[in-house]
Amino acid sequence: MLLLVGPAAAVLVLFQIVPILIGMNASFRSWALYDPTKTWVGLKHYIYVLSDPVFMTVVLPNTFLLMFLSVAISLVFGLALAHLLNRDFLGQRIVQTIVLLPLMVAPVIVSTMIRWMFNDQFGIVAVVWEGLGFEPMAWLAERWPSFSIILFTDVWIWTPWFTIILLAGLKSLPREPYEAAAIDAAGRWRVFTHITLPMLRPVMLVCIVIRSIDAFRTFDQVWVISAGGPARGTEVFSVYAYIEAFQNLNFGRGSAAAVVGGVIIMVVGLLMYRVLNRLMEVSR
Amino acid sequence: MSKGFAKRIGLLTGLIGLTIFAVGGAGALSAQELKIGYMKHDIHAANVVIMEKWAKAKGVKLTKIPMAYSVFQEKVTATLTSGGDQFDVIWHNDDWGQLWKKWVEPTNDITGMDKVARKPLEAFINDDGKISAVPMVHTVGVFFYRTDLVSENEVPKTLDELVTVSKKLQSEGKVKWGYVGGMKMNHTWFSQWWSMWSNNCDIFYPIYSRDNKELEANGWKPALADPCHQEIIEFWWDAMNTHKISPRAMTAYGRDEANAIFMAGDAAFTLVDSTHFGSFNDPKKSKIAGKVGMARFPMGPRRTTPVAWNEVWGWAIPKGVPDDRKKLAKEMLGAMLTDIEGQIKQWEDTGGPPPNREAWDKIAAMDPVFGQLKHAVFDVEPPMHAAYYFPNWPAVHKAYSDATIGALSGKREDIAAALAKGVPIVHAAAVQ
Repeated sequence: MLLLVGPAAAVLVLFQIVPILIGMNASFRSWALYDPTKTWVGLKHYIYVLSDPVFMTVVLPNTFLLMFLSVAISLVFGLALAHLLNRDFLGQRIVQTIVLLPLMVAPVIVSTMIRWMFNDQFGIVAVVWEGLGFEPMAWLAERWPSFSIILFTDVWIWTPWFTIILLAGLKSLPREPYEAAAIDAAGRWRVFTHITLPMLRPVMLVCIVIRSIDAFRTFDQVWVISAGGPARGTEVFSVYAYIEAFQNLNFGRGSAAAVVGGVIIMVVGLLMYRVLNRLMEVSR
Repeated sequence: MSKGFAKRIGLLTGLIGLTIFAVGGAGALSAQELKIGYMKHDIHAANVVIMEKWAKAKGVKLTKIPMAYSVFQEKVTATLTSGGDQFDVIWHNDDWGQLWKKWVEPTNDITGMDKVARKPLEAFINDDGKISAVPMVHTVGVFFYRTDLVSENEVPKTLDELVTVSKKLQSEGKVKWGYVGGMKMNHTWFSQWWSMWSNNCDIFYPIYSRDNKELEANGWKPALADPCHQEIIEFWWDAMNTHKISPRAMTAYGRDEANAIFMAGDAAFTLVDSTHFGSFNDPKKSKIAGKVGMARFPMGPRRTTPVAWNEVWGWAIPKGVPDDRKKLAKEMLGAMLTDIEGQIKQWEDTGGPPPNREAWDKIAAMDPVFGQLKHAVFDVEPPMHAAYYFPNWPAVHKAYSDATIGALSGKREDIAAALAKGVPIVHAAAVQ
């Protein structure tokens, strides 16, 4: 039995646990990437990160806002798509596959494509926008338009994930409550809000927790589309840690930022898990 | 011990043995293989072609590993400091000369190093006074203009003329934009910095100094709040918002976006590395092929003589590479440096000025464009360095970019305050 589990455990330790421990060790040391003296500095990097006004007033709010909005919007669209796909029609499987396509494309490629779509000179969005009579927009030169584009990209990529999981959830729901509702001549909206949603709640909540934890560490879309700009206006936690470690070459400080972010998401994840448990008990 | 357990241990041992044999075998084979890590760029590719010629003649396998510019520095820094041999030769840049000096081999002993210009190699001098890179091409900033829109006499010589000439061309319907250039992080040279240096201004005091001891004695004091800086940022703010000779989204442009607009024929002027001249003149990529000229940088109000920067892109050999491959790599780079015909071809294909000065005279005799470049850049004295050469330079660059993009993205009346706010941040980046 041990031999069966051993290789997987070895991979987990070597490629997950050991790097985390190295990073945590680095966070307490003076560790410049070009000249790692590794002198012990204690909590110096943590104090820097936690007292950095940009981290507290821009980076963390951006991260939570992106997380909240991306998950909420993806959930709504995912649920709507799942509901539409939860019936038999000609070509249902093909449509289902097409809906999943955004998830199959690497986020870097999607983000590069979106960046050029929103280019103010050549982008298709600019052509349509100005064609509708609006003033030309410098999408990527302003904070909130840039943030919106990043959010749009994230939603586009992750809505299919919600769709496929919620579709599986919908297909596994018992038929009896729907039959009873049909006998009582309940309308479609009432059936959806009073039968479907309550029964689907456990699946939705698991999706929300998993996706929230993932959304907190979004990097690719932000880095490719805006690199955290303009002037750090769209910087999120993962980009902050990356810039400190790999652009400013301060590996110690970047590791400290990563550890702080890890602790935050662990606390947030635990809180969400508690809420999930409570709501699941209520729904029973 | 059960038979089944013994069988499994035997299988595992066999697998481990095979792996060691394969790795060991690969190590033996790799003496005749060299791996080159570089940026995906026409110039790099053209220079690698010169090395491939040598490799073919010597029976050496050349493995090419192109990487994106946006991750190159951090990826290679991590590789170098790990002491690994993932690459035998890497692209090296003056920006990173002081960053990587501990991790790359001295190159003074490579054949042909006595034929290259010395000043651009100052960025690569290590603590023993030895040079740690081999140049592959001169990378110089050039003010490009459309020869179909302005004659040589009409090319703007000052920033004010850049505005008046641009507006005239736009009002005549000849072009959509006057000037377009990269502005965002890592592309700061192509708007803020060339105009800053053209206005007797710089990032730190003393202006134009690159002597780290002098800069340190001055406390790495940023010149961001100096009036010369405010003038430049206000110039660009006006270019985008008041005169509208540049797109408002230019704060988000890298050189790719700017080059695309220029090559589409939508801008009259741009400033970018001369290494892009080949693309500008390639009819497969550019609508303005054959209509591009080179000129000196327009000057700001505080200068009466032009400036120019003259740096090199080069190659370096990581110290972690085994000695036999180091020797092979040095031989290859020496062959590249002394291949005059190959370097002339590199110029013809890409517009990248070659490193060997013996090639310059030959090229100048047969190509008038090289003469233009020589006048625009190589004849400007003294040439300046387009970066600071100390390990915290990448952090300073980021801090500077954030401060100026912030100033350019806000209101005009807030520019002075935004630049003043950036002063302690740039200073902190320099002394971290």
